[in-house]
Amino acid sequence: MKKVFALLLCLTLTVTMLSGCGGSSTSSSEDSDVIKIGVFEPLTGANAAGGELEVEGIELANQLRPEVLGKKVELVVADNKSDKAEATTAAARLIEKDGVVALLGSWGSSLSIAAGDVVKSNEVPAVGVSCTNPQVTLGNDYYFRVCFLDPFQGVVMANYAYKNLEAKKVAIIQEVSNDYSVGLAKFFSDSFIELTGDENAIVETGNYNTGDQDFNGILTNIKAANPDVIFAPGNYTESALIIKQARALGITAPIIGGDTWETNEFITVGGADVEGAVMSTFFDDTNPLTEEGVTFVSEYKNAYPERENVAAVSALGYDAYNLLLDAIERAGSADPQAIRDALAETVDFQGATGAITIDENGDATKTEAIIKVVKDGKFTYLDSVSVE
Amino acid sequence: MNTQKMTFSSFIKTHWKTIVFLGLLLIGIALANEFADSYLRRILNLCAIYTIVSLGMNLVNGFTGQFSLGQAGFMAIGAYTVAIFTVPVEMRASVFYLEPMAPFLANIELPFIGALILGGIFSALVAFLIGYPCLRLRGDYLAIATLGFSEIIRIIFTNTQTITNGALGIKGIPTISNLWWTYGIALLVIIATILLVNSSYGRAFKSIREDEIAAEAMGIGLFKTKMTSFMIGAFFTGIAGGLFAALLGTVDPKQFYFTLTYNFLLIIVLGGMGSISGTIISSFIVTIGLEWLRFLDEPMAFGLDLPIFRPGFRMVIFSLLLMIIVLFYRKGLMGTNELTWDFIRKKIRSIQSRLGRKTSIDGGEKK
Repeated sequence: MKKVFALLLCLTLTVTMLSGCGGSSTSSSEDSDVIKIGVFEPLTGANAAGGELEVEGIELANQLRPEVLGKKVELVVADNKSDKAEATTAAARLIEKDGVVALLGSWGSSLSIAAGDVVKSNEVPAVGVSCTNPQVTLGNDYYFRVCFLDPFQGVVMANYAYKNLEAKKVAIIQEVSNDYSVGLAKFFSDSFIELTGDENAIVETGNYNTGDQDFNGILTNIKAANPDVIFAPGNYTESALIIKQARALGITAPIIGGDTWETNEFITVGGADVEGAVMSTFFDDTNPLTEEGVTFVSEYKNAYPERENVAAVSALGYDAYNLLLDAIERAGSADPQAIRDALAETVDFQGATGAITIDENGDATKTEAIIKVVKDGKFTYLDSVSVE
Repeated sequence: MNTQKMTFSSFIKTHWKTIVFLGLLLIGIALANEFADSYLRRILNLCAIYTIVSLGMNLVNGFTGQFSLGQAGFMAIGAYTVAIFTVPVEMRASVFYLEPMAPFLANIELPFIGALILGGIFSALVAFLIGYPCLRLRGDYLAIATLGFSEIIRIIFTNTQTITNGALGIKGIPTISNLWWTYGIALLVIIATILLVNSSYGRAFKSIREDEIAAEAMGIGLFKTKMTSFMIGAFFTGIAGGLFAALLGTVDPKQFYFTLTYNFLLIIVLGGMGSISGTIISSFIVTIGLEWLRFLDEPMAFGLDLPIFRPGFRMVIFSLLLMIIVLFYRKGLMGTNELTWDFIRKKIRSIQSRLGRKTSIDGGEKK
């Protein structure tokens, strides 16, 4: 029995080793007529859901536009396990072993920041999909992105609260262990204080940790402060619970948040209580801003008929791929340095999520964000806000 | 004079294989450093760092028999010390863009090696603080307390915005890309652990592992000995954490979830609790193995388009291989043995004799 198992173990090891070697040798021999683009996304671990949606968008774009410069584009997808150390090895592997000319990804700013150093030292360009933290592209000439940044989104929501909701006093509930939430809350409050000209416009700030279930302590304080609006950027599950518990406590102030809310779980957890919750997002599938957006939505619905709505990150993944291919076309070669230079010069690229112009930091300058509201258990287009 | 010469030549005589092996190893590292691509170098660096952490953990868990699960926390301390003190002063304003860094820290910049050692010392000091109440506990309580500690450290780092930049993490740490830092320190740690384990302290550690009451009766100060082991383990782990931060170039609290500790627990259990060479071997197996199985994530792994080969599949296979190893090597790959020349000779001989016996049996059957 033991010997049989030992033999089996040896057999699996040799088979896997052989196939491992075989895979790498075939991939290196046929790179003359293929351009390889690496995709590193969290496909397992805590952020797997987000990574999966982005890959869907990227793969859809690849199906629609499989060739550039007369060569076939091959996507090499690597899983970064939602882990920083894995993100760096995955990026290094794609560059060194698979010989990709550029990278796409990742969901989650910290994973992108970790891979940034690999990208920079190997001088291979990368296009971030939904990494909204300013630090991703800061001081890194090889990292670009198609999404807007946390500061922008904070400003958008502050404007919305001040102008549309006519709020004078705001309370903030932030997920203190989430860089996204902390950054957004900070930019929101800075902008809101500037708009109102009132130093004390933020009447209360509550902190919670990822995974918390009970928010009654924070909410009781907020109820006492009686704000006009509550800004609660953060993870969708916790946010939905916050809204539920706030309504149970009798808080009637509108509750607004960021793009992370736009998931089906937000509505299933929150139920009827999240009706009227307002959030900013990148993309609206019922009312695309551009021609490209219309094409994307119809193709996406063909490819994934079972999905109720089109996730914004899928649209961003689609844009990231097309932006990169556009740059390769303009560069006229698949040389990473040439692609980088072409990416940096992108002006008025028509993507599914709007027109993209890359600024000197490598960020997409976007002036328009979509505001959505939960209505009848669905995310519905409410408004689009543009900010200079 | 004469006797010294004698001992020197006899030292060479008994240890020539080890010296040759070390020489070859150094040449190997130099070659890898010169010719390996950045992907391979990164994995080799990770192997060395995991070796250091696992050795620190094995010292406490394997040799002293105290079940500690605080590795992620100690790594976080080392990593953050390196991050805070080595990010160039002029870059700090852009890293701490939400709230500026605390003024008493903002202008202190240390050389990498200084920050690394400081990280180790901080880890050891924190280990002293936790160990002071906890090492008086027996059994599972130390495990619970250290597990709690590593979560507390993470939450403290999340909330001290002006020191650690909170959830945003710190980026822009000057990175190390050659192998000498990690392998040099790993070698030092390995040598230090070997010397320690074979000294009177090491024997005291093992005696506590085997039987606390008997050890105490023999005159070993339980608390002091456990504390020594715990603090040295934490020191090594802190150093490794610092190297980890410098390898990645960025740190944030989410890296140091308690699940990180289980990586190292896996490594020491797989290698053998109480075996230095086992720990080194399994650090390499676990780190390289996971990377090497990556081809299983690709849809065309065996030239066939099978639906099971999708991202995450390598984890399934990896767990299966681990299960098989644990089933058949219940004490880990090495048990409490060390990979010495004697051990190898014995193994080869036993394999030879087994093969010899088998052929003779086969021969008998044929007749």
